[in-house]
Amino acid sequence: MMSLLAPLFLLGTLAVALPFWLHRLHTQSSNREPFSSAMLLETTDERVHVQKKLKYYMLLALRVLLLVLLALAFAKPLWTSPEGLPGNDPDGTHLVLVDTSASMNRSGTFEQALDDARQAIGSAPGGALLQVLSAARDVREASALTTDRDVAAGALQGLDPGTARLDFGDAMATIDRLAEDLPSPVTLHVTSDFQDSGLPVRFADLVSSQISSLQVHPTGTQRSNNWSIDAIRVTADGIDVVVTATGDDVADAVVTATVNGSQADRREISSGDFGTVSFTELPLEQGDNRVQVEIDANDDLALDNIRYHVIRKEPPTPIPLLTLDIAGLPVTYLSAALLSDPRSNYEVEAAVIGSFDTRTLSRYRWVVVDDIGAVDARLESALDEFVRNGGGLLAFTGRRSASSNRLPLLGNDIRGASLTPNEYGFLVIGQVESGHPLLAATDGWYDVNFSETIPLVAADNDEVLVRLENGEPFIIERHIGQGRVLLVAGDLQNRGNDLPTRPVFVSFVIEAARYLSGSEQVVRSFTAGSLLPLSVVAGASGQVIDPQGNSLLSLAATTRAQQIQLDQTGFYEVYNSQGSYTIAVNVDPRESRLTTMPAETLQRWVAAMSGPDDASVAPELELQAEPVELWHALLFILLLVLVGESILGNWYLAPATRSGVNG
Amino acid sequence: MAAPGANQTTARELLRPEVLSHLKNLDLVARSVVEGFLIGLHRSPRFGFSQEFAEYRSYAEGDDPRFIDWNVFARSEKMVVKRFIGETNSHLMLLLDASASMGFGGPPVSKLRYGQFLAASLAYLASRQHDAVGCMIFDEEVRDYRAPSSRSGKLQNVLHCIDSAEARTGTKFDKSFDKFREQAIRRGMVAVISDFYCDIEHLLESVRPLAWHGQDVVLFQVLDDQELEPDFKTNVLLEDLETGEAVEVAPEFMKETYPERIQAHIDALSRAASGIGADHVLVRTSDSLDQALRNYLLFRQRRQ
Repeated sequence: MMSLLAPLFLLGTLAVALPFWLHRLHTQSSNREPFSSAMLLETTDERVHVQKKLKYYMLLALRVLLLVLLALAFAKPLWTSPEGLPGNDPDGTHLVLVDTSASMNRSGTFEQALDDARQAIGSAPGGALLQVLSAARDVREASALTTDRDVAAGALQGLDPGTARLDFGDAMATIDRLAEDLPSPVTLHVTSDFQDSGLPVRFADLVSSQISSLQVHPTGTQRSNNWSIDAIRVTADGIDVVVTATGDDVADAVVTATVNGSQADRREISSGDFGTVSFTELPLEQGDNRVQVEIDANDDLALDNIRYHVIRKEPPTPIPLLTLDIAGLPVTYLSAALLSDPRSNYEVEAAVIGSFDTRTLSRYRWVVVDDIGAVDARLESALDEFVRNGGGLLAFTGRRSASSNRLPLLGNDIRGASLTPNEYGFLVIGQVESGHPLLAATDGWYDVNFSETIPLVAADNDEVLVRLENGEPFIIERHIGQGRVLLVAGDLQNRGNDLPTRPVFVSFVIEAARYLSGSEQVVRSFTAGSLLPLSVVAGASGQVIDPQGNSLLSLAATTRAQQIQLDQTGFYEVYNSQGSYTIAVNVDPRESRLTTMPAETLQRWVAAMSGPDDASVAPELELQAEPVELWHALLFILLLVLVGESILGNWYLAPATRSGVNG
Repeated sequence: MAAPGANQTTARELLRPEVLSHLKNLDLVARSVVEGFLIGLHRSPRFGFSQEFAEYRSYAEGDDPRFIDWNVFARSEKMVVKRFIGETNSHLMLLLDASASMGFGGPPVSKLRYGQFLAASLAYLASRQHDAVGCMIFDEEVRDYRAPSSRSGKLQNVLHCIDSAEARTGTKFDKSFDKFREQAIRRGMVAVISDFYCDIEHLLESVRPLAWHGQDVVLFQVLDDQELEPDFKTNVLLEDLETGEAVEVAPEFMKETYPERIQAHIDALSRAASGIGADHVLVRTSDSLDQALRNYLLFRQRRQ
């Protein structure tokens, strides 16, 4: 099978037009003589004529061949020998897929899967093409396409169960693309524990049009006893650990919490009393704390008995709340909302608008004003400069705002009567720009009731994020200089609306804090097998240390690698230009669900894959043999053709030099 | 003073085609040829010229008053007119083949150019003898036609017609000759100038009606030396100028067989011409033109 490395050079074959043109000119101009009449002439000996024509065509053919060979040599042809790879073998291809997901770490399960795989290889027809694949987060080729059963079986020795999750829908999509280039019929053998949690949402995702038949080889037992830690939640005074036990014969266990390598606490739990286990008063230090919770239990799958978590402890970040009443409700509502987020650590510092030292504004990333209408000219100027230099402002409209016709700092007009009850009694939210990064993680806006509204007029450069059902703007974003302002057309007093008492207020304030401070939340928790985007976390000269203490990036990869796969569970240390931080990698909790697929589902899958074979699909075999470059041979042939052309050309042209017409 | 023999030699030299080819003006060519020819002719005891006095005869109504001898009338009060030898007031029609094959030949001149020299010279000579001269240029069609006229100004017209002929396309005698026959009312002389690469029988079918109609026909067959004595040393692909047909011929054929064939063709044409009372004159483009003119005068003399 021949392929070309630089097929564009084949355009050079267009140059064959040149010899055709030259030969045409030659025949027209050199050998022909005009004569008055041919009526008395007689064609000469045909043999001589034929010989001359033969020489002519041979010379033309050699010149054309010369140019074609030259273009072909530049195109760098590759020849891959199909020997030993029966591309059109009626036995087709047998793919052996071995599940290497985390659940296969159960004792004896993976060994059984390998035995089943060996049997599948052994049962394949003699001339069939074999390939071993492993599947966890993605499908990988464990062996090349081969007809040698020993080679295929040998590839099984290199397989081990990993820590990632297998989704059969994703795996089948990959295999479907892989089988497109394989000689049909393609038979797929799957050796797996066939977890119920591995099923895709849509059954149709399990079906591949390229696979002619599916043979499943279930391993493991239907009943398994397993303890697992599904999640760790950070609370105000410690952590809550979500523990799950599956199986009928699961034994009691002990849960141990370790912080930075030191055991902090332990709990004994019984099989019938699992759920959330709380650990308080953990000895957390400033910075990243490595929290490790482990279940000491005798169960079938040990890999999910330990879970890692990173808790970052930082000093609280002060947030100035500029208000007219430092003991009022706005302080309470805002403080409660910020404190409810365990991931952030903000401390509200209430200050009276009239006595606030504007020189301290530069210390903060963002500030809150509970009534923008109360801002005096001095503070207005300071806030304007603060925002223009990149600061964030979250502003609400209180009574002072309602009593004015135009808002300070922002300049929005207030249309009509303010603080008047709506004629319908209560208004609700009518439109939310849920795609906006501020609002994407918020929910419950439509539960907010309004008894009073402040009908703002949005300026041309305002972006209205939330509108009331009567179309009035409720939350407006405006960019001023390098900073941004979020203006809420309502107060923080729980008078004109009940937003401060609604759950959505908490998520809104937390997201506003993240949005206005400009700090993206760094993800500290990953599931095994997922990808860590290095362009975000590692920077141009970063490094990643795996749980074993090994550097994962080579010197070149520190600047080139875009992402890295997190194959191990445990703590990874990520270094970048801003410093270092720790991430935790855990087994996907769905791998802990050892319940297998219902037999009916498996039968249905097999039946769906064993439909009528599509004989029209007969793709060419993509060969794995080592390709051989042909340009050396082509150049040698080209040299021979060149010599031949020179000899023949001399022979052909020689009579012409001796010929002539006298008179 | 140059000797008379020297004058004759110089005049003959002027009649050679390679000399005439340098003259662009066909009128000048014709004048040079005829005057040079006449210089030699006056010395010849064989030929009389039309301007020599022959006899008187009584004036008859219809005679041109210019030829009345007023001296005789003064002496005898008889109106007589002079008659000169050769003065017959004949018509000469020149039919020049301008087919593509006539473009062959040279250097110095192609067959067509030679034919133009010949036709122009004949026209000039005839004009000097007060013969009415016309011409027709033809190939597959009649490309140009000038009716015979003895008016002195018409000679330039005829010469221009001859000079403008260009070699192209094939040859069809029948169509052209039929056209000429429709135009020719009076008897006269017809000079056909061509290479006559055609079927002889086919040609006779076209020429024979002219002869039967009382026209005196002379066929000037113009051929190039390369056609009569080709010299090729290797195989060569000869392309027919009219049909485009290419024939690859061997030098042996061109040296041995072809001359026999061309001679046989010439002989057949000559026999056919004599068979219908026409004259056949073979002229080579390397020959001087006096031979052709001499043949014409002989032909004219026989006709009288």
